[in-house]
Amino acid sequence: MMPTAQRRLLFLLLALISAASIMMATSIGSVNLGWAQWWSALLDPGSEFGDLVWRLRLPRAAAAWTVGALLSLSGCLMQVLLRNPLADPYILGVSGGASFAALLGMTIGVSAALLPALAWSGALVSILVVFSLARGEGPWSGTRLLLTGVVTASGWAALISLLLTLGPDGSLRGMLFWLIGDLSYARLPYWALAILVTIFMVCLGMARSLNVLAMGETTARLLGEPTRKLLWVVYLLASVLTATAVSIAGNIGFVGLIVPHLMRLLVGSDHRVLFPAAAMFGGLFLVFSDTLARTVLAPRQLPVGVVTALLGVPLFLLLLNRARVKQ
Amino acid sequence: MSMLACKNLAVRIAGIRVVDGLDLEIRPGEFWGMLGPNGIGKTTLLKCLAGLDEAASGRVQLESKDIDALPRKLLARHIGMLQQHTVYVFDSSVMQTALTGRHPHLGYWEREGPEDFRKANEALDAVDLAGFAGRSVTGLSGGEARRLAFATLLVQEPDLMLLDEPTNHLDLRHQLRIMQMIREHTDRGRRSAFCALHDINLAARFCSHLLMLFGNGEWCAGQTGEILNESSLERLYGCPVERLESASGPRFHPVPA
Repeated sequence: MMPTAQRRLLFLLLALISAASIMMATSIGSVNLGWAQWWSALLDPGSEFGDLVWRLRLPRAAAAWTVGALLSLSGCLMQVLLRNPLADPYILGVSGGASFAALLGMTIGVSAALLPALAWSGALVSILVVFSLARGEGPWSGTRLLLTGVVTASGWAALISLLLTLGPDGSLRGMLFWLIGDLSYARLPYWALAILVTIFMVCLGMARSLNVLAMGETTARLLGEPTRKLLWVVYLLASVLTATAVSIAGNIGFVGLIVPHLMRLLVGSDHRVLFPAAAMFGGLFLVFSDTLARTVLAPRQLPVGVVTALLGVPLFLLLLNRARVKQ
Repeated sequence: MSMLACKNLAVRIAGIRVVDGLDLEIRPGEFWGMLGPNGIGKTTLLKCLAGLDEAASGRVQLESKDIDALPRKLLARHIGMLQQHTVYVFDSSVMQTALTGRHPHLGYWEREGPEDFRKANEALDAVDLAGFAGRSVTGLSGGEARRLAFATLLVQEPDLMLLDEPTNHLDLRHQLRIMQMIREHTDRGRRSAFCALHDINLAARFCSHLLMLFGNGEWCAGQTGEILNESSLERLYGCPVERLESASGPRFHPVPA
């Protein structure tokens, strides 16, 4: 367990790096701003670069941070829910439902401003389908939830392939960016931030219960947890987090898998430390990734999902390999 | 007053009758041992007493209240159980695992205080894991993991300890230590224990009362000195048993046919 002083230092450090990442994201790009230019732009939204910082870069960086935090938190919850360290936010089909709805919207030419709402309703349909099919009678079964979720996800994937095949060529690129995960048009809706903060507080309140739940359902019941209720709450919270993230930025991969893992290695498995650490690290990781995505092949912009996967895959393999050596 | 009482309890698992019409009272100060052959349903009965599984009929009552009606958190302050197997999926430290025993005693946002750490340290010390506090649980040996699980139960401080083969995986010295600690737990006269065992001689030496499960729902319960003898053991295990007298009481040995 981390001593309190060390824990506070880590949180402070992560908050500072988060701020630094957003500062970097708002100063780098097609026009690189120096320290003084950046500062004056920040103080005066009406100045030469104020518009650039306040209307373009800051909303995008804030959206990136929020989405990263949403996905990481959701990943932590999914891993406890399924008692599987390899679970990620998309495993139970929430993102599939969101993607299908958003792509359907693009195919029939719905205005881009309506896509997040459409994606959210698609995710909600998926959550309710999985919830009602997996719930049933009898004891909680993680396996049944996992299978229901994975099969539902496959169903969505098939429908998405169908849309991609039948859809007009003109919208293919937009669809592809959505599927890979992209922040180009992302703006931070305040309701997303509200969802993040609310669920984060609930998670912190449940953190000790989740520590116990991670030891197994029977152990958790013996230590006083009404596990069935707790597990459904965790499922719903994780799903809402995922749905919110996907509706803003599409299916950004690997953040929700890698970040909880990295943080477990760094801070241990106490969720009271893991939740804040993972949320902040996920946020800053996505801000850095998105800045790379904008600048590495400038003026071309990459979908950020490509960058997180390119960073995430080697990192993940390294972690797996390390874990094997440790055993 | 009885701490835990079974009233006309019938327990089934997969069509097997574990017990029928079981009337049993576990009173403060009593150390119960449960004997029976493999697969007879000892674990199932323990789970039923812990409120994890439902009985086919009859009731289990904690201080005259049906345990199904009690919230789990309240139940966990009175009844704790050492499971037969302990598997750790997520890595965690030994200290953090021992501290989970405090979970039922803490509120929503409450953190473990110095008193909780003291209890955890004491328990780890009692099971010879004092130097292990910072170690990872996934690196423990079978016997160490077992002792950690028992330490967690000590930290939980339940009035009634249910234990599923507590001496599994343990060397001779730690088998004795654990049985002694369970007896100390009951010695204060306020608490009790109920434990499934395979070692007749540990049962003979430590348990004040025994429950024997013969299969087909048949059972027999009573004070150890009254019901533990060659004939009941032969009926129980289906093999001849001889009785030897030792300085500390009778010992039983199987006789090869």
